[in-house]
Amino acid sequence: MSARAIAIDSLLACTCLSCWLGVLGMVRMRDAYQSLHYLAIPAVAGLTSLTLAIVLQTGWSQASWKCGIIFAIMIASNSVGTHAAARAFRQRQKGHWQPKPDDAEVEFLGGKPQA
Amino acid sequence: MNFWMVMATATGASLIPCAWSCLRGSPERRLVGLEMTALVITIVMVLVTVGEGRLIFMDIPLALAVLAFGAGLVFARFLEKHL
Repeated sequence: MSARAIAIDSLLACTCLSCWLGVLGMVRMRDAYQSLHYLAIPAVAGLTSLTLAIVLQTGWSQASWKCGIIFAIMIASNSVGTHAAARAFRQRQKGHWQPKPDDAEVEFLGGKPQA
Repeated sequence: MNFWMVMATATGASLIPCAWSCLRGSPERRLVGLEMTALVITIVMVLVTVGEGRLIFMDIPLALAVLAFGAGLVFARFLEKHL
C-alpha cells in the first residue's frame, strides 16, 4: 500500500469522522442555536479533506475542480444560511431580531444597544 | 466495494440521527436537521460518484449544494414569518 493510498484513506476517514461529529453534536446540543454551530464541522473539515482526497485520487481533473467549487459554495453558504436561520429563530421567539434594552442577553453581556 | 464506497456507507449512516432531528422536536431543531441532512447528502453523493468511477455525475452534488442553500433560506424565511 503506497503512501498516497494511505493519505487518501486517512482523508476519507477524516471526512466520515467530521460528519459523524457534526451530526452527533447537533443532536446532543441543548437548543437550536447551539446545534447550528455544528453545521460548520462537516462543511469545513469534511469537505476540505474530501477535496484533498479527490485531488490525490484523480489529480487536477474536472472532478477535483467541481469538488473545489462545492467546497467554496458550502463555505460561503454555511455562514449565510446559519445567520439566516439564527435570525429567523430569534424573530420567531421574540418578535424582533435586533437587540433591545429589555433583552436578557444584552444585560448579560454588560452593554446597552445603541438607539 | 472499494474504500470510497465503505466511507460513503459509513457517512450515509449519519443520516439516521439527521432524520431523527428532522422528525422530532421544535421547528427550529427540524430546520437545523434539514440543513445538516443536505450537507451530509452532498458529501455522500461526492463519495459515491468517485467510488463508482463515474466522475461525470459530480454535477449532481454540485447542483444539490446550490439548491440546498436556497432551500435553507426559504425554510428559514417561512419559519420566521408564517410558522
